[in-house]
Amino acid sequence: MTKLRHFFRIYLPFSRAGIQEMVAYRANFICFLIGEIVSAFIMFFVWKAVFASSSQQTFNGFTLEDMVVYVFITFLTGYLTYSDGAFAIGEEIVDGSIATRMIRPCSFDMCFLFHELGSRLISIAMIFVPIVAGVEIYRCVITGSVRFDIPHFLLYLLSLTVAYGISFYFNVCYGFMAFFFKNLWGTSLIKETLTSFLSGAIVPLAFLPAPLAAVLNFLPFASLSYTPVMIYMGMYSYAEIAYRIGLQLFWLLAMFLLSKLIWRCAVKRLSVQGG
Amino acid sequence: MLRYLRLHRIFISQHLKRLMEYKTDFLLGAIGLLIAQALQVMFIGIIFSQIPELEGYTFDEVLFIFGFSLIPKSLDHLFTDNLWMVGYSIVRKGDFDKYLTRPINSLYYVTVERFCVDAFGEMLTGILLLSYSIPRLSMAFHWYTIPLALVVVIFATLIYTSLKTMTAAISFWTKASGHIIHMLYMTNDFSKYPVTIYNKAVQTLITYVIPFAFTAYYPASFFLTDKNPLFCIGGTVIAGTALFALALFIWNRGIRAYESAGS
Amino acid sequence: MDKMIYVDNLRKEFKKVIKEPGLKGSVKSLFSPKKEIITAVDGVSFDVDRGEILGFIGPNGAGKSTVIKMLTGILTPTSGMCRINGKIPQEDRKNYVREIGVVFGQRTQLWWDLALRETYAVLKEIYEVPDEQYHKRMAFLNEVLELDDFITSPVRTLSLGQRMRADIAASLLHSPKVLFLDEPTIGLDVVVKENIRGAIRQINEQEGTTVILTTHDLSDIELLCERIVMIDKGKKVFDGALSQLKHSYGQMRTFRFELLSPDDIALLDYRGRFKLSDDDCSTEVKKASVCVKFNSSLVSVEDMISYTLQTVHVKDIEIRDVEIEEIIKRLYKREVAV
Repeated sequence: MTKLRHFFRIYLPFSRAGIQEMVAYRANFICFLIGEIVSAFIMFFVWKAVFASSSQQTFNGFTLEDMVVYVFITFLTGYLTYSDGAFAIGEEIVDGSIATRMIRPCSFDMCFLFHELGSRLISIAMIFVPIVAGVEIYRCVITGSVRFDIPHFLLYLLSLTVAYGISFYFNVCYGFMAFFFKNLWGTSLIKETLTSFLSGAIVPLAFLPAPLAAVLNFLPFASLSYTPVMIYMGMYSYAEIAYRIGLQLFWLLAMFLLSKLIWRCAVKRLSVQGG
Repeated sequence: MLRYLRLHRIFISQHLKRLMEYKTDFLLGAIGLLIAQALQVMFIGIIFSQIPELEGYTFDEVLFIFGFSLIPKSLDHLFTDNLWMVGYSIVRKGDFDKYLTRPINSLYYVTVERFCVDAFGEMLTGILLLSYSIPRLSMAFHWYTIPLALVVVIFATLIYTSLKTMTAAISFWTKASGHIIHMLYMTNDFSKYPVTIYNKAVQTLITYVIPFAFTAYYPASFFLTDKNPLFCIGGTVIAGTALFALALFIWNRGIRAYESAGS
Repeated sequence: MDKMIYVDNLRKEFKKVIKEPGLKGSVKSLFSPKKEIITAVDGVSFDVDRGEILGFIGPNGAGKSTVIKMLTGILTPTSGMCRINGKIPQEDRKNYVREIGVVFGQRTQLWWDLALRETYAVLKEIYEVPDEQYHKRMAFLNEVLELDDFITSPVRTLSLGQRMRADIAASLLHSPKVLFLDEPTIGLDVVVKENIRGAIRQINEQEGTTVILTTHDLSDIELLCERIVMIDKGKKVFDGALSQLKHSYGQMRTFRFELLSPDDIALLDYRGRFKLSDDDCSTEVKKASVCVKFNSSLVSVEDMISYTLQTVHVKDIEIRDVEIEEIIKRLYKREVAV
């Protein structure tokens, strides 16, 4: 118990600093958010046009109403699981200031994690409720009945949390890779775009050829976005949800171990190069 | 004028030399942009595997509009990328000082410094899409089609550059405006698709308020249909000119408000 | 009439958002940010003759850089005006800056990735220097600032001293009438400092270039400037010849006595003997020598020497010149009424 208290006493100041930064740059955040949500609206209009251009009511099991929910909940999920603490790791590696972190007596993935959680707190509060409420009101108006389902919503929150963990450690791995390929802009662009496609953020995996969709469904990327969104939409049975979340947990563990492994190699290399 | 071109030549040749030094950085950036665009094209492909036409536009036509939108965008990206840095850090850190101590237009000076070769990734995608779609479309070709396209591309690029200049200039008052540039810049994605798929509000927004529709859809639709030259081409020219004048005005006012940074 | 620079009642205000400390403070500033007006330059007036080197000094945050930035057209004054060679910087900035050269010691104005030679080629285009004049000029700058060793290197690889020389050469390429140097010797070693001072003096003498120099290194001032303007907290506190400053405020004298035996040092008690405060008299002991710094308006030079000679056995005496640094330190502390 005291150990836990000690843990939080070390890392909570990082969260507090994160919150303060967020408040200081609130205007930046709001503008950033508006910029990002544009892409969700474009998707929305594109899918609307797709359904309007066809006499079909469903595509691959998605109705227009499903598609709209999919687009916005995917945006929300992507936003909430987005982790850029690792970008800071990469930057510190490239400019060499990582050395000051290595001499501090705290685990620095935890420093980044708590800092990021702090900086996220306000943005989550500001974006989560409006988007979920908006989506549910839209569903209600279109279908004429309340579709919001509390068990699925809670499971979504659970899945979302695990997805954030995977995203965090995935990006920590990427950040550590900066030790080896000292380039951030280009590689992170490649990483972002590939991840968004592989995780189903651009187009639902169900729209892809079946063998490809099956592979992607198993890979960690689906755990980042597709799994939680499908749970939210009630597309999975409870048995399938259990399997999916189990898979997510597996990937979380895998990413965590991988990040430790890369870190160990990186430190070895760092000491060889002498910083 | 000649002086400005000579300066550009020096800087570009320097950048190309530097490119050799940072080959991997350049390649990774360009590949990243190429992949980003390619995935978007794939998205369009997946959509058209479900339906024959999108709001009356065929696959080839949508690719044409999409490809066309990338040309002015990549040109602007290539030449004026430093405006992002004005918004994010140059003004805030007081580094704008140096642009004011030379007998040369400060807007020109700040943009000539950076030549963002990553943009070739976007440009390449644009060219590939155009060369794929044009032969498959039954477009009317006139003697003036090519020169007109060049003029349109110039003014469409000017729309991008002007909007970026205006938002970057906000930093002269607020110290930093990178996030505002970002917000505005993201709306350019609307122009990749036929505007007819959007509702009235969005159409009005991207036609009359932030006229990104004139950077792609309107001129492209003229080339596709030969209709409405006055609105589609004239609109691009007028929007480009008016925005550029406004951008210069705001930029110059901003310089007067510039506060540098503590000694 | 033949003044190069006129500065009349120049004033610059900045708005600053005050951030209250802590989480509570930042949440508070979310809703009602507090703003405060800071007057960085508060009614400064002075003028500079053609061909003069003016030392512009003051403690950190006094407003030196702000004045320089207004004179160079970077900042627009809140009120008041400055005119350089008959031109108001902000009115026609592009033409005005053709006549001036600017060096900021803290940050380079050169392009980080360009080789130095390329940098000058770019500047040649920017300032439209004709070919023939350019070659002559480069040869001259080369000779004065010794650029040859690193002219082909990219700016980012230069040492601080090389970079500063490169920056100064860049500011002189177009033969400006006025040269603004903001901390041109900051962070440099003695040899490079000497080289740079020599270059400034040479340019000033040969071409009659008017120079305004801000610095923290007072030997720059002593070696280069006839006249200084000092500002503090945005206001002018001294304007006059360096000799006048020394004459009026140079009461602090320094003697160094070398004693026969180090044991004698204990016998000397200047402060007690002349009843002087710490500020008016200080001593520094090194082996068998003692350095005494004292206020000569309170104790005569004669008294000081005779007391020393009577108290201890002296092997050697060294009389040092008035130290400008000491005067300025006191001026900064507002101990000297101006």
